[in-house]
Amino acid sequence: MDGVRILEWLVPAVPEEAVDWDAVYRGEMPRVFNYFRYRGFDRETAEDLTSATFEKAWRARGRYRRDRAGVPTWLLAIARNAAVDHLRRARMTVPLAEEALRDDETPETRAVREADSRRLRALLATLPERERELLALKYGAGATNRAISTITGLGESNVGTILHRTIGALRDRWTKEEPSE
Amino acid sequence: MSDDFLSRLREEPRPEFGARLEERLREIDADERARRSAPGPWRRFVPALAGAGLVAALALAFTLEPVRVAAREFLDLFRVKRFAAVPVDPQRLERLAKGGMDFKSLVGDQVQVVVAPQQPVEVASPEAGAAEAGIVAHLPAVLPRRAELVQTMVGRPGSFRVQLDTEKLQALAAVAGADEIEIPAWWNGATVDVEAPPVLSVRYARTIEREGQPPREESFVLFQSATPQVELPEGFDPAILGRLGLRLAGMSAGDALAFSRTIDWRATLLVPVPVQGGTFREVEVSGHPGLLVTVQAPPRTVPGGSAGRAHSVVMWSAGGQVFALQGPASRDGVEILEMAQSVTDH
Repeated sequence: MDGVRILEWLVPAVPEEAVDWDAVYRGEMPRVFNYFRYRGFDRETAEDLTSATFEKAWRARGRYRRDRAGVPTWLLAIARNAAVDHLRRARMTVPLAEEALRDDETPETRAVREADSRRLRALLATLPERERELLALKYGAGATNRAISTITGLGESNVGTILHRTIGALRDRWTKEEPSE
Repeated sequence: MSDDFLSRLREEPRPEFGARLEERLREIDADERARRSAPGPWRRFVPALAGAGLVAALALAFTLEPVRVAAREFLDLFRVKRFAAVPVDPQRLERLAKGGMDFKSLVGDQVQVVVAPQQPVEVASPEAGAAEAGIVAHLPAVLPRRAELVQTMVGRPGSFRVQLDTEKLQALAAVAGADEIEIPAWWNGATVDVEAPPVLSVRYARTIEREGQPPREESFVLFQSATPQVELPEGFDPAILGRLGLRLAGMSAGDALAFSRTIDWRATLLVPVPVQGGTFREVEVSGHPGLLVTVQAPPRTVPGGSAGRAHSVVMWSAGGQVFALQGPASRDGVEILEMAQSVTDH
């Protein structure tokens, strides 16, 4: 079951016309996709979860409430639930994902970038769930600390503190665990 | 390590994936358009349960003062299509509180109000209130003698999120003497989201005049609400939480376990009934299972409630909405049952 949705809520909400949902899709789909990628899902799973998120959101558009959260925050909250549900279902450790290739690079710069990305993904994969979640929202989805606070229920200053501490720890490990040439 | 560096793992979704998803969303659009243009109910309804306002009103009526807010929010998780009475000893809860159980810390602090509840506001008519509440108004065709419609209100119970804390729940079990209940470790940090829809309340009143006594008003209040949305984590077993609630209410371990096994925890609203001064019985309202509860305690803060007299509340669920009708406990509740049986679409 996709989460345990035992009931449905039917409060009239913001009229659909008030939101340009096509623009929402264009603008938010990459952010939601990258949120899943930063959570550590491989590309195929990230695509599946992005689809699930948007399909769920599309069906629930009539109940979107502007007074509760902006559309991006609302979408990320749905995405977060999808990620949690998926992880609970799968009870698995997400494998590190393959690196995407870009066309506008030389072989040398691409090799460096790929190596850095692999290291970064490896470091991210070792983080506790909460820290990884916050980094995924911050850097994968580009969410503000305030939006992250709304989505996670953590205080905004707490979000900032955890992110600061986590990035500091990552930085230390990045430096200390420098691979030998 | 800069923000830019940390953002470098971002990547563009594959265009073919984007196109495929966009096409899927267009299909959903088309389905919705087709559904809207089809004849029949204009809105999709699913099995219903009481709005938080109903439960709030009941909790207030049952005078669980020490734990009123926390218990209300706690028990809201169980509300669905059926109703089951749970004898509750308010004095036991008071004793637990005096013995060091800090309900606010153990339960209340775990509740984050997402959308604050709003005070009920008066509206012009039941139809206007129903439109505002997003439901179809159901009204009684049969009124008690001399009673007439006097007030319609719409309340917004708001929404909230409960973050589970296994340590606190285990502590709650410990102070309740419920050591047999083991809270799953994976619950820690999981959240339960509850969004309660607006509640329409329609009040009917009549004046009772008796020789030698000042006239007094007697009210019958019909609450109705569409179904809230309650989302629980995957694999969450509400029965565990339910048993904890039953133990806190004063049930023995054996009784709580036995009771728990008879309950569909995903479809049952627990209604606290004071062990002293409270009675209940299962009833049928227009073919739907319901629960009739009578309490002697005055419903001090229920709108329209006449303080100091016994009240009955009959609760039932039908047609995608949940109802509670409250009135004087006259004729063993038969009067409000007759009124409830006549509630139909308006």
